[in-house]
Order: sequence, then structure tokens, then C-alpha cells
Amino acid sequence: MKLREWKNKFFRWLDGDYDVMANIMDGSLEPDESHEKVKRERKAAQKEMTSSGLSQAVISAERKGFYQIYIGVAIVSCIALIGVLLFTVNLLPRYGEENPRAVEVSDRYIEHGLEETGAVNIVAGMILDYRAFDTLGESHVLFAALLCVMILLKKDKKNMDSQFDDYYQIEQDAYFDVSKDTVMRKVGILIVPCIFVFGIYILLNGQNGPGGGFSGGAVLGAGLIIFESAFGFELVDSFFTAKVSMVISFVSLAFYSFAKGYVFFMGANHLHNHIPKGIPGAILSGGLILPLNIAVGLVVACTMFGFYSLFKRGSVGGV
Amino acid sequence: MIFAWIRFGLCALCLITAMVCFTAAVLGANRFGFIMNRVHAGGVGDTLGLFLVALSILLGDGFHMGELKLGFIIIFMWFTSPVSSHVLIQVEYFTNPHLYDHVKREIPEMETEEEK
Repeated sequence: MKLREWKNKFFRWLDGDYDVMANIMDGSLEPDESHEKVKRERKAAQKEMTSSGLSQAVISAERKGFYQIYIGVAIVSCIALIGVLLFTVNLLPRYGEENPRAVEVSDRYIEHGLEETGAVNIVAGMILDYRAFDTLGESHVLFAALLCVMILLKKDKKNMDSQFDDYYQIEQDAYFDVSKDTVMRKVGILIVPCIFVFGIYILLNGQNGPGGGFSGGAVLGAGLIIFESAFGFELVDSFFTAKVSMVISFVSLAFYSFAKGYVFFMGANHLHNHIPKGIPGAILSGGLILPLNIAVGLVVACTMFGFYSLFKRGSVGGV
Repeated sequence: MIFAWIRFGLCALCLITAMVCFTAAVLGANRFGFIMNRVHAGGVGDTLGLFLVALSILLGDGFHMGELKLGFIIIFMWFTSPVSSHVLIQVEYFTNPHLYDHVKREIPEMETEEEK
């Protein structure tokens, strides 16, 4: 009986009908009469106390003393922090000293990186081949962050009719909307294609030069944001809906997980994996690095635009 | 030899002027009280200062592929920086209720019948 009650409560909480913290945290929007009264009285008393010249003088003197103490504490804590850091630096091995333990891994990367990963850019080889698990976690963290912001800020039928969604809010949003501005539109026509081409270039060139998934995806996401601010949400919604965003994120992350899972499984069992490395320097080279870069970049771009869209209008994309 | 010295002098002049611009931009963006003045000061550094730095590098280093890329950066910044300033100022203009405490409002004088 009790279990069923808890289960019922849990599913109601999942659906958003039931607030667990309802009795603990007062989230009601109605002004509490007694609370307001206490507040008003306290404010009046405070005003009465601080209005006289003597109390003003006392307050300014105290403030001055507080600032002196504040500056003193700031200086002392800065000096303490500098001392701790310098002491730690002192414990590190000296520059150029023989220290085989510290350089073993980096020597391996530098000597065998090109041969083992097929990427000219050693950093790309590191983050997407040797340490691909790390990057997998990072891209999943991005997606999880997007989901968390969605939980907090997404507007749907259940929280649409709150009093924050009134007419004035919409009116205020129209003021901030720069997409009707001629200058922004004309410059957007010139700039946005360049940004997208540059982002795709960074994305595809990750294994051969500086760049890769995170930076290319950031440029693509910024391009989407500029596109939106120049032309408005109507145009973005015609190709980048919430569903498209979620599908792109999911497919990218799933592809990353399966591809890298395959490679790790084969490598751990000393089996040969069938992914060709290609000629170093060509665009189609580096084995899985290029597809993984594209996957990471798409996730980053979707996340960036999702944040922007959630903060601006409360949904990841159009319906 | 003389040519090289002239080139060096021009390069140094450009760099010093750019530093003056950037100093003005930093001081203005930090010390001015009102947002429009701050944005204007920042815009000076973003456009003229950046251009002068690029020009001095071009004079000092000669024309290579790198300078071409630098030129693209300049073009890009000259597009984006004024537009961002424009949009910021526009939002300020539309949303600040106390705008005319800071800006002098010039009301055009109506022509009277006698002047006509």
C-alpha cells in the first residue's frame, strides 16, 4: 500500500503535477500579508534609524573601517596564496631536468603519435584517440548541461500561464529584438555565410591543423546565434527545430559512443580494427578522428544555440 | 639602408599611434560613466587601433600570406564591431527611461509665421 503511494507520488512528480517541496519551500506567488507587514515595518524602522545626521556619520565611519579591513584582508590573502603557489612551484622538477617519469607519455605521443593515430595534429590525436574517453565524457556533459537548462527554463503548457508571461513581457522582448534592424540584417547577409564556412573548415581540418570539434562547433553555434539575431526565430525555425536539435545531439553522441566502444573493445582484446588511417595530411585521414570531430562539433553547436534559445524564448527550437 | 630606416620609422609610428588608441579605448571603457560613451571608446580601439596594428605589422614584415589573413580579420572586425556597438546603443536607447539625463535633446525649432 505504502509502496504504491510512493510510486504514485513519484510518477506524479515526474509529470510535474506534484511538488515535493511544496510544504517545505514556499513557492507561492501570492504576497504573504503578515510577511509583507513585517517587512514594511522593518523598513520604516530602518529608515527612521538611519535618517538622523549622527547615525549617518556612524554609518559612513563604519563603512570606511570596513573598507580598510577589507583591503587589508584582501592583501593578506593574496600574499598567502602567492606564497603557497610559489612553495608548490618550488617542489616541481626543474626545467630541463632529467625526469623520465614526467616525459614518458609525451615522448610516446610525439614519437609514435602520427604513426598510431594518423593525425598530423598531435593534440587531435591525443584528445580523440589516446584519450577519447575523456572527450566522450565532455560531450556528454555538454548535452547534460543543455538538459538541465531545459528543466529550469523550458516553457510548455504546464508553466505557460504563469504571471511572468503577460503582455508586458512580450512587449519588452520586442524592444530587445534587433532582427528588425536594417543594419543588422544587411551585415548578417555578408557575415553569416563566412562564419559557417569558417566553422566547417575548422571542423573538417581538425586532424591536420589547429581546430577540431570544440572550436569548430563553437564557431558554428555562434554563427547560428548571429543568424538568429539578424533574421529572427522564424527563419531559424524553418530548418532548426527542437526535434532536429535533439536528433542531431543524440545521433552524434550515440555514434561517438559506439565507434569508440568498438575501437576500445578491439584494442583491449588485441584485435585488428578495420578503420583505415589514410594518408597523413589529407582531409580523409586519421581514422576515426574526423567523424568524431564532426560529432563533437555538432553537439557543441546544438548546445550553444540551445542555451541561447532557451534563455531568449524558453525552448530549444521551434516546434 | 635609408629605405629600411624609413620603413622602421613608419612602422613604429603606426604602432605608437595604435597604442595611444588602445590606451584611450581602455581608459574610456573603464572610466566613462555612461554606456554610450563607453561603447564609443571601445569602438575606437576595435577599429582604428586594430587597423593601425595591422598596418604596422604589414610595414614591418612585408606582404605574405599571413598579412592577407590579417586583412581578412580587419575586414571582419570592421564589419562586426560597429554593428555590435550600434545594436548595444539601440537597446540602450529603447530601454533606458533616464536617457535624456545623459543625452542633450535637441528639439528642432518650429518656424513661426513671421519668419516665413
